[in-house]
Amino acid sequence: MIITPKELNDQLDDFTVIDIRPKDQRDEFPLPGIYSVVSENGALPKIDGQKVLVCQFGIVTEGIIIENELNDTFSLLGGVQAWHEFYRGQKDFSRWSRQTVLPEIGIEGQKKLLNAKVTIVGMGGLGCPVAQSLLTAGVGYLHLIDGDTVSLSNLHRQPLYCPDDVDEKKVDVAEKALSKLNPETTIQTSGTSLDEQNAEAFLAEADVIIDATDNIKTRQLIDQLSKQLNIPMVYGGLFQFEGQVSILNVNGSPGYSELFPEIHTDVETCEDAGVLGMLPEIIGNIQALEAVKLIVGIETNLIGKLLIYDGKTHTTEIIQL
Amino acid sequence: MINIKVKCFSQVKYALGANEINLHLENGSTTLDVEKIIREKSNGKLDSVSLRIAVNQQYQAEETELKDGDEVAFIPPVQGG
Repeated sequence: MIITPKELNDQLDDFTVIDIRPKDQRDEFPLPGIYSVVSENGALPKIDGQKVLVCQFGIVTEGIIIENELNDTFSLLGGVQAWHEFYRGQKDFSRWSRQTVLPEIGIEGQKKLLNAKVTIVGMGGLGCPVAQSLLTAGVGYLHLIDGDTVSLSNLHRQPLYCPDDVDEKKVDVAEKALSKLNPETTIQTSGTSLDEQNAEAFLAEADVIIDATDNIKTRQLIDQLSKQLNIPMVYGGLFQFEGQVSILNVNGSPGYSELFPEIHTDVETCEDAGVLGMLPEIIGNIQALEAVKLIVGIETNLIGKLLIYDGKTHTTEIIQL
Repeated sequence: MINIKVKCFSQVKYALGANEINLHLENGSTTLDVEKIIREKSNGKLDSVSLRIAVNQQYQAEETELKDGDEVAFIPPVQGG
């Protein structure tokens, strides 16, 4: 039986790969991305389960399989040469190997992240860690929306910016800093605040919207569009040592308007109430974690729940909505 | 009489200066009774703050009668970034 490089790649975990080439050939042309068993002397090791034999061009292995009537064994079509060609055209997943090894993520989950489009509204204390973590996790498309410029008082909690960036547009500085972390992620920037005129156009393409705003009015607008467009919204809020996170509007699950139906929008901001720099880092990373779970499809998440984290006591409360 | 525990978050915690308060209430007391007590204790600091209420980690959209041992949480909206 024959297996193509793509088929092998798609089912790599299901096969034991046996490399029958001599050592000098193996040293010269290693098999990238595959853990293989070596069999040099022609005697195939006794291994249960599905096996793939690999030689340099796929001809010798095909002959062995036919000659010995090995019905449970495949030959890699085109051998190592073909694998190299295929592998070069593939993304190098080794960058994410420490997360793809998690059964909940795997290669399939990583592919979902690489194809995901996440829009982050607000590139302040929450937006910075969310963007950093999603980008390094491999999210393929980020849209950063913020009309503000960097100010000195932002720096204690917004680590993408440095003193030289004061008065620069946040989205421009963030794009530059983030591009270095992962040049393969496509970053789109909108250096304007979200408002009723631009909201639909800005949010409609997203798979997930991150609410990293610093005010309730914008959050209510995101909530409205999130419902209207049926795009989940990962909410994050801060007050001094405390933070809140929830995933809202997933196929009719509660939204922000259900979370806080009657609300005074003049609630204190970080500027009024104060916040320690680590808090937005923690809460932003929880938002990023929930976004990753949403994209990959991990069902233990904060849909229909409100997480409240207290950084003073390190206690969490999860309220069912 | 019933004993309940009130958990305070963000502005409520700030206004009352406590993470938790224990209250001794008449039988038949409701979440709204507790909210009144909390607002009174805050000396006006919560006058312009909307509060959501959860009983035993479950949001309550309506006024709910409390029973002995219940845990009542007051959750105000917060801003962000």
